[in-house]
Amino acid sequence: MNIPENILCSKSHEFLQDNGDGTYTVGLTDYAVEQLGDIVFLELPEVGDEYSKGDTFATIESVKAASEIYMPVSGKIVEINEKVVDSPELLNEDSYEQGWLVKIEATGDESEQNDLLEYEDYKEELE
Amino acid sequence: MTKETYLHDKHVQLGARMVDFAGWHMPVQYTSIIEEHKTVRENVGLFDVSHMGEVFVTGKDAEKFLNKIVPQDISKLAYEKAVYCQLPNKKGGLIDDLIIYKLGIDWFLIICNASRIDEDLNWMVRNKRGLNVKIDNQSHNYSLLAIQGPRAVDLMNKMGLNTHQDSFTIKLSEICGLKVLASRTGYTGEDGFEILVENEHSEYLWDKILEDGKEFGIKPIGLGARDTLRLEAALHLYGNDLDENTTPVEAGLSWSIPKEKTADYNGKDVIMNQLQNGTDKRLIGFKMLDKSIARHEYDVYFNGEKVGVVTSGGVSPVLGTNIGLAYVKNIKEICAGAVIQVMIREKLHDAEIVKRPFVPKRNIIRVS
Repeated sequence: MNIPENILCSKSHEFLQDNGDGTYTVGLTDYAVEQLGDIVFLELPEVGDEYSKGDTFATIESVKAASEIYMPVSGKIVEINEKVVDSPELLNEDSYEQGWLVKIEATGDESEQNDLLEYEDYKEELE
Repeated sequence: MTKETYLHDKHVQLGARMVDFAGWHMPVQYTSIIEEHKTVRENVGLFDVSHMGEVFVTGKDAEKFLNKIVPQDISKLAYEKAVYCQLPNKKGGLIDDLIIYKLGIDWFLIICNASRIDEDLNWMVRNKRGLNVKIDNQSHNYSLLAIQGPRAVDLMNKMGLNTHQDSFTIKLSEICGLKVLASRTGYTGEDGFEILVENEHSEYLWDKILEDGKEFGIKPIGLGARDTLRLEAALHLYGNDLDENTTPVEAGLSWSIPKEKTADYNGKDVIMNQLQNGTDKRLIGFKMLDKSIARHEYDVYFNGEKVGVVTSGGVSPVLGTNIGLAYVKNIKEICAGAVIQVMIREKLHDAEIVKRPFVPKRNIIRVS
């Protein structure tokens, strides 16, 4: 899978991608889905729901366990990825282009992104 | 300190994800739990279960001793036969569940759970007072390889094992020039073998099985698929579905307890009373009616009232639904076909009580 440019990663393994139109795409990093193993079910929020940075906004069930997914920044949900709800295995195949989770409008200050890492730094941190 | 089996390096080389389980550093999956699961249901899989305990019991009172510590009737156990047993405390609660094999007159093998070896040994030592019996924990000297699936028997034949044996039997056998104990048992609901081999030969045998098994579609299988396989077969997992506060009657294991056994054993009064008069809680199997997944310790509701708790839950790769085991209040309305609810992240999800096992077992083999 391709690692998109312009993503930032959280230490809890979510990515935040700036779409350049005032919205951001949020999902799980390739490392996170690899660790989870076979993903079989996910619960996503509804369009219009609002969350603060660090809130649980989704739950992902792998064969092994349920995992909570956290907001990398504060935001309002503007779109959810229906395709990944129907076919959770998309997440295992490509968590960025196919398996992203939600699109949000950021509602917080840009400084909320200060603790997010560039992909290369995130990878380095994992080692 | 975390222990490693003699096959640890093999798992790492095969790219397994390793986790700590019952004090052991074990492979949870090599590629994908679902793929590994299907390999065992369709072809054949190889498991390293060397973490499990092997205890030999010998001496002229061996049979008498075993009869005192399990509800099953060991005096009826024939040479080379195996029996599924429980190890109850005085209140009928379970210290462990085991398989006992008869290897000769006054010579038995117990295979027990890795997490319970110490408790089992303590309990056995406490119960041997006055008896001429030797309890010999050989867990550290043996590796245990499980070969499971519909093509296991073909693979074992190809490798020269004499597979002319019924399920639930054990034989001193030979495979690839190695002297082993071969038992036709497993924890998957499939036909298969468990091979007890001295540690020093385990790596050779592991490699050889994977090599010879290629034509049968063999794959190494981790603990993740071991769990989903045993759940589909509705086989209990100690620590989840069995514990010291749960009796075999509550656990749905009455089928394994002879009513006519004369010898006294720990917890007999409680167990016999429950067989006669019933229990307050009992084990049920259920399938979720939506896509949600019930997990260990989630609460179970019926008609708005909390009636129990999930002890094992997960996906059924074969059925494509999510399934589980739960202990519920023993009332007649909560029966097969009834709809219960499982509390998942503060929401109730419907589940239907279904008969166990969830997937038909195919492990009863008779050759004689």
